[in-house]
Amino acid sequence: MMSLLRALHAELLKLKRTLAFRVIFVLPLLVALLQFFIVWRTKKFPASFDLWHTLGTNSLQIWAVFMMPLLIALETALLNGIEHSDRQWKHIFALPIPRHAVYVSKVVVAQVLIFISTLILSLLTIVVGIVAVHLRPELANAGPIPWGWFAKYTLLVWAAGWLIIAIHTWISTRWSGFPIPLGAGIGGTFFALFAASASVGKYYPWLLPMNLFIDGRFKAAIVLGIAGGIVATLAGCWEFVRRDVM
Amino acid sequence: MTTENPLIETRGLTRRFGVQLAVDSLNLSVPAAGVYGFLGPNGAGKTTAIRMLLGLIKPNAGEVFLFGQPLVANRYSLMRRVGALVETPSLYPHLTGRENLEVTRRLLGAARTLIDLALDTVGLTKDANRRVREYSLGMRQRLGLALALLNKPELLVLDEPTNGLDPAGIHEMRDLIRRLPRESGITVFLSSHLLSEVEQIASHIGIIHEGHLLFQGTLAELQAKQQTELTVGVKQLDEAIDCLERAGWTVQRRAGELLTVAARSSEDAVRINSLLVDHRLEVFHLALAQVSLEDIFLTLTRGQAAAARTA
Repeated sequence: MMSLLRALHAELLKLKRTLAFRVIFVLPLLVALLQFFIVWRTKKFPASFDLWHTLGTNSLQIWAVFMMPLLIALETALLNGIEHSDRQWKHIFALPIPRHAVYVSKVVVAQVLIFISTLILSLLTIVVGIVAVHLRPELANAGPIPWGWFAKYTLLVWAAGWLIIAIHTWISTRWSGFPIPLGAGIGGTFFALFAASASVGKYYPWLLPMNLFIDGRFKAAIVLGIAGGIVATLAGCWEFVRRDVM
Repeated sequence: MTTENPLIETRGLTRRFGVQLAVDSLNLSVPAAGVYGFLGPNGAGKTTAIRMLLGLIKPNAGEVFLFGQPLVANRYSLMRRVGALVETPSLYPHLTGRENLEVTRRLLGAARTLIDLALDTVGLTKDANRRVREYSLGMRQRLGLALALLNKPELLVLDEPTNGLDPAGIHEMRDLIRRLPRESGITVFLSSHLLSEVEQIASHIGIIHEGHLLFQGTLAELQAKQQTELTVGVKQLDEAIDCLERAGWTVQRRAGELLTVAARSSEDAVRINSLLVDHRLEVFHLALAQVSLEDIFLTLTRGQAAAARTA
């Protein structure tokens, strides 16, 4: 446990001045801006329009199916890319720190960054809702902000993405550079669009966060996302500690 | 060579990459204190051997012992006593020199004061707060050495530490390495493909070629292999070779009308000259010179290559 804390402590410093840290703010901002423009440009809202639910679902669905899987691919490639660039693995592995602590710290840091990014998205979506209420008088009766709903889905969308984080962490420790890690992310996300309507989509890793919003797939998405994430992390770690470092 | 309580010992260390045998039954014995120069041409198996010494890659056969204990069973406790710089230094260019050391310090769980000590040892205190991407190659190499020294190791493993450096950088690095055993009692295991570099700082030498250890011993033992040779210029080259070989000398034909004879002293030179002149051969050049360590190194490695070809 102490080794893991030491590795996490070191990871925090490595993030300083990196794109890996900045990008977690940029992508949620893009989704929130898109939501803002949709609300702003809508000509007429029906009387039954549920602002908070519509806004929250739209934001988190775009995030779950598209932005988060790509962010995971990018983040893990950046986090592990800094170890490939100057061949730091050989230095780290010659230190008296267990390799599994190094690997798990990489997974945990990726998870924390993705969580912060998802949280920022939810908060920005709420800000968009507040602005919309002030901009459009017909939305004045939108009701109170459903903090509980946002908190629940922020956590669940993130947790359903654990399996994707585990897969991409292993890929980006295994291969240096961006082509393979990003290629896997783009490919995984692209096929998710087709898998959504197929029955196999229930088990497709890159679709699990989106499955939270699809009837009949909610429970499987959570179980597979979390349990699959833990199993895939352990499997990746098993291979990582046995790897020759050239 | 002293083999009592070696700091590094390998027994039958072997590693293959596919069909290629990179290191073959390597039996190293590195004594404590001083500098051990691990010499070999590029591709001889030095880096592969070093990676096995540090546990970065696994051997196909054989064992590594550090401080008398098997590496496999005691890796983490043994690595606390070892510092390493393998090939190019592993640095984070977006961080400062001090931050790079701080990353390693956090991984080691070491005291914060060790950073200043390491920076001072390699002379980087003034530039510690500059980002590494602004560092020269020599500064990067010194920072790599500081990373290796951070935990106050008893054994320092350096793989080609002067590679790519300019003459001033090589001089700085050499001075640093030479000082370490004297000032801190650290044993340095240093690999290089340049004998001229190693002979200036090493007390012990190991020569590896095509994965085989060809020589291991003190520098003095290697120097004892040094011979003198006599270069002879003679008009009738074939007759001269025939005449000298019949008299029992070892002769080698050189370019032009020159040949070399394995001679030990100026008396030998006089005897050889008299022999040739008595046979009415026209001698126009005589020069007695000592064979350099570099030539011994080349003879050892080429001899091994020739033996491998005929096997």
